Amino acid sequence: MSRILMTFGSGFLAALAAGWLAFPQIAYRQRQQPLAFHHQTHAAKSGVSECKDCHAFREDGEFTGIPKIETCAACHSDRIGTSQAEATLVNDYIKKGYETPWLVYSRQPANVWFSHAIHVRRAGLQCSDCHGTIGASDQLRPYEVNRISGYSRDIEGRSSARLGRSPAGMKMSDCEDCHHKRGIEVGCLGCHQ
Amino acid sequence: MEFTRRDLLTWGSGITAGLVLTPVPWKLLDDTSIWTQNWPWIPQPARGPVEVKNSFCALCPNGCGMRVRMAAGWPVGISGMQHHPVNRGALCPLGFGAHQLNWHPRRLRQVGHQGRACSWSDALAAFRKACAEGPVAIIDGYPDRAASAICHGFARRHGSYRVALRAEQRALLPYEKWSGVPAAALGYDLENTGTILSFGAPLLDGWSAPGRFARLWSVRGAGSADSQLRLIQVEAAPSHTAACAWRWVPIMPGSDAALAAGIALVLHEEHRTAPNAPVPSTTLADAAARTGLSVDAIRDLARLLCEHGPALAISAQPNPAVAALNVALGAIGTRGGIVRRGRRTEPLAAADTLPSHLRAVLVDASVPADFLASTEAEIFRFAAWEGSAGRNDWLLPAPGFLEELTDIPTAPLSSIETYAVAPPLSKPPAEVKSAAQFLMAVDSSIPDVEKIIHARCRQLFQSRAGHLQGEELAAAAPPESAQAFEKQLWSGAVWVGDPPHFGGIPCRLTAWPQSAAPVARAGWTAAWPAPVLPPLATKLYQESSLREPPERRAI
Repeated sequence: MSRILMTFGSGFLAALAAGWLAFPQIAYRQRQQPLAFHHQTHAAKSGVSECKDCHAFREDGEFTGIPKIETCAACHSDRIGTSQAEATLVNDYIKKGYETPWLVYSRQPANVWFSHAIHVRRAGLQCSDCHGTIGASDQLRPYEVNRISGYSRDIEGRSSARLGRSPAGMKMSDCEDCHHKRGIEVGCLGCHQ
Repeated sequence: MEFTRRDLLTWGSGITAGLVLTPVPWKLLDDTSIWTQNWPWIPQPARGPVEVKNSFCALCPNGCGMRVRMAAGWPVGISGMQHHPVNRGALCPLGFGAHQLNWHPRRLRQVGHQGRACSWSDALAAFRKACAEGPVAIIDGYPDRAASAICHGFARRHGSYRVALRAEQRALLPYEKWSGVPAAALGYDLENTGTILSFGAPLLDGWSAPGRFARLWSVRGAGSADSQLRLIQVEAAPSHTAACAWRWVPIMPGSDAALAAGIALVLHEEHRTAPNAPVPSTTLADAAARTGLSVDAIRDLARLLCEHGPALAISAQPNPAVAALNVALGAIGTRGGIVRRGRRTEPLAAADTLPSHLRAVLVDASVPADFLASTEAEIFRFAAWEGSAGRNDWLLPAPGFLEELTDIPTAPLSSIETYAVAPPLSKPPAEVKSAAQFLMAVDSSIPDVEKIIHARCRQLFQSRAGHLQGEELAAAAPPESAQAFEKQLWSGAVWVGDPPHFGGIPCRLTAWPQSAAPVARAGWTAAWPAPVLPPLATKLYQESSLREPPERRAI
């Protein structure tokens, strides 16, 4: 009997270890951002205090997302520091007129319509409610993309068990949970227009 | 210790039990389902700033106003322009999905000569040779544009200019014959009509500017028992328009002329006809026998027209008897009837009969796909999509939807003059050329489209007539310079002419016309064969009763 339990238990534990520890590593492929960008350094040196100073809204309420290369060029038209990242930014992107191909952690798929303006201006959500403390980070973590679905790990949630601080990720169920808690019902066409 | 088969099975059971308690099966299931929603080969709209631009549909000559939603510089959605004087926010199913047409699998991208791939230089050489050898005809489907002026100018030097008239434009030809006023200068004052008697015209099914009547009907006609606008549909088939009309009058197929004569007879008997209106030589009993209606039903119909005026009869095809009924109703040159707009005096030459001994015929992309040129000459056919009917010796790929600069002249049946400019919103493929560009390559002395539009804008500004209308112009002051005027037109404003002028259509009809044309259904569906439709239009088309089979008759 003990032999059966030991054999069963070893298989059981091996599966648990593989499923909880190895599988998340295998399921996602890591990609490095094109440049090492320090939110904290930029905030400290440029005097930027709020997210919206760089990630602004247009007049019609549309979110501009990641700043364009012109915004970077306002300070980095020529090198002002000594880092390799800045040299790459200036030589490979600004001087050549190319946009930096940032890998956006929270990019939703094309079948999702999401308005930052409604959530930030009307609902009063803080940026960190969805995006965490990235604004205070001193380096960009690797971008992790699911090998099957192609979604960013931030969409699916950092935790494989979807545990931890709410929201666990930015999946439809997370949107639904938040809306349900606030008593705001949105039909299918609200997001899937 | 020996590892037995039993141990292997036990160990496997442990793994299975353990896996169920890990994210592995659930995550794989979830990821796979997401993967199936985002196949890698599905085209995705470009990511970028989203903006809405005003533009105008040039797929047919009605030039409906549109709000085009652009993402990263590409059109991704279309809705109607609320302030447009013709369509007032409504669009046809084709218009709503027109931005998808440029990616249609049947988009033309290669010059073809009798089924073989050729180059533009071959086509140009062949057309130059044809021009040197004999007269050519240019057939246009959307007259009065700047591109039409180029076609017209070229044709004046090298042959003749013809226009492929649509069914609803042809319906005005009898008035042209009787009054001398060109049909292209006539329009229906539907906005002031009380009762419309439609002889098979698909008013709610893509007739003329589909949005124009749909909007009028939704505001003034639909849903109320005694609506401001009454639509009486005379039609053998239970069409979509007949089903939605205020009243449907089913008659025997081909008996429209008899019914028109019967109604005119009743009006004459009851002294309700306009002065000097001709009297039909038929009898009421004969009209009843031919239409399948009772005499009383025809009398009731005539009274309905009189009790809620102004009344107007509209036919789907040129039908002299229906036109004569309008004369009897006094609907020529009056409020709510057929009105004259603009100062055009020259009629458009129809493409039905082409001059003999033509060396070549050039057919513009604006000519409907089902147009058949009755000629033995070499045909140079411009088209953005495959599916053009008949023999086309040269098939030349033209710019698609919103891929070229064009101006938008007055819609054919509109009661007011309008003018707008539709700049290109999409970059055309490198291998396409418009007929105007083609003709300019043959004859370099012809001015380009932009110069003609510029001159027309200046001319409109200097005329000091009409006003500008647009989504962003509600509170803006009228432009004070020609440059400002032109700038507003380029940004999506519409120039709207003065209100229609009543009178000015001298009608010289002395005897009731005898001939009658058979009624055929027409609309955007006729001009666009089913295979070349955007997915949105195809779905709407298939799931609605937009086109009933011809054999489905009520009688």
